Amino acid sequence: MKHVKTLTNKTLKESMKKGGCGECQTSCQSACKTSCTVGNQACENANR
Amino acid sequence: MIHQYKNNGYNIVMDIASGSVHVVDDVVYDAIAMLEPAIGEIESAMPIPAEARAEAKQKLSEIYPEADVEEALSDVQELIDAEELYTKDIYHNYVMDFKKRKTVVKALCLHIAHDCNLACRYCFAEEGEYHGRRALMSFEVGKKALDFLIANSGNRRNLEVDFFGGEPLMNWNVVKQLVEYGRSQEEPHNKKFRFTLTTNGVLLNDEIMEFCNREMANVVLSLDGRKEVNDRMRPTRNGHGSSYDIIVPKFQKFAKSREDRDYYVRGTFTRNNLDFSEDVKHYADLGFEQLSMEPVVAAPEEPYSIREEDLPQILEEYDRLAVEYLKRRKEGKGFNFFHFMIDLSQGPCVAKRLSGCGSGTEYLAVTPWGDFYPCHQFVGNEKFLMGNVDTGIVREDIRDEFKLCNVYAKEKCRDCFARFYCSGGCAANSYNFHGKITDTYDIGCEMQKKRIECAIMIKAALADED
Repeated sequence: MKHVKTLTNKTLKESMKKGGCGECQTSCQSACKTSCTVGNQACENANR
Repeated sequence: MIHQYKNNGYNIVMDIASGSVHVVDDVVYDAIAMLEPAIGEIESAMPIPAEARAEAKQKLSEIYPEADVEEALSDVQELIDAEELYTKDIYHNYVMDFKKRKTVVKALCLHIAHDCNLACRYCFAEEGEYHGRRALMSFEVGKKALDFLIANSGNRRNLEVDFFGGEPLMNWNVVKQLVEYGRSQEEPHNKKFRFTLTTNGVLLNDEIMEFCNREMANVVLSLDGRKEVNDRMRPTRNGHGSSYDIIVPKFQKFAKSREDRDYYVRGTFTRNNLDFSEDVKHYADLGFEQLSMEPVVAAPEEPYSIREEDLPQILEEYDRLAVEYLKRRKEGKGFNFFHFMIDLSQGPCVAKRLSGCGSGTEYLAVTPWGDFYPCHQFVGNEKFLMGNVDTGIVREDIRDEFKLCNVYAKEKCRDCFARFYCSGGCAANSYNFHGKITDTYDIGCEMQKKRIECAIMIKAALADED
């Protein structure tokens, strides 16, 4: 595509297949403690 | 749902439900906006309706060369065919089923000390005391909390324990004993503890730093930025001297010694320093590389609380910070900013993104005397007392209320582009401002949305460099 640069494709839909293992960090344990941000958390699913 | 915005010279299109993010030129940007009313949200690929296509082509041709318009429209069709544009949110039932699963506990916030050696004006813990009495957690209570976590964590291997306060270094021996006890339980139970510590740094010394570098996966170091900003909101208990002068040299030494282990220098900005990007820059100038700066959450009547009229300045400030972030990176003096970090390709799954922060279910706070609350921000509010280390969770109704708290339970989140990034926001903030956990803290939402926009713009700029 000449007019479009895709930074990421449909990762969310794909993540339904193997997601939800729950091994990732709890969002408030990182560096916020007063808000809720999950978009910046790392996935720790060993089987993804 | 799509979200389009322009920032720092980039035209960005987010397709919310698929998670796709596109950087586009002006003609595609306008084409996508023009076609949205006719296409709406779709479950699978389809051709652009002929009438809408013709109308868009005509309007766009008034502004752009016809060849560009034709190419742009076929690019849009290609994105639709790839199911990366105008996609419909199909996760409602999936997340509801996910949330109905039996929950396990995987993280504890241990209030190791309800006491503090600073007197920060905005402290939600009321100088460490949380509307209660000064207290230190005993090893026995902490041990029972870790046993509870192990027993209630099901098959989860990674368990998180944050030593929090008040100021946890005021009860340092118990922290050390609990880490030692936790480690002794890892092999027999096939668990891995990830310990973290949040500290104001006053009592930091070489022995503590060494221990933390060995045992703590992350340390959160509280500092508000420039000396005058920090000392105004983070005074010493007796009002004499500068907490900045006490803390900064220790934090510099500590941060350097962390090497490749995580740390964050974390501050709070208030109405007194709406130019908080200067404070983030100050952190970087002090040599810190892992940075976080959070807006204060306070009752509207507090003179330092953030008000709606402050938002324009705050949002501009985030833009300024994003540009500075890129500039310093280019100069080889880059830093990480917690709220600008975003992993677009390997980030959290959709279940994680939509199911909320886990407070009251997989995450609990434990007071010095062993009581459980849904999270550290609810501590001291007896309505949310869920049980204790001896009885376990006795108020299952509270747990179930938090279990159902997710993006789809919050009306304001349903049409918000940020819902896959903030997970519906903070339940405590919602409760503090609206008296229920299924609302949102509206000022916080506006800031969150801006931070996400900046984070994605940064990704676009970095992709440009590659």
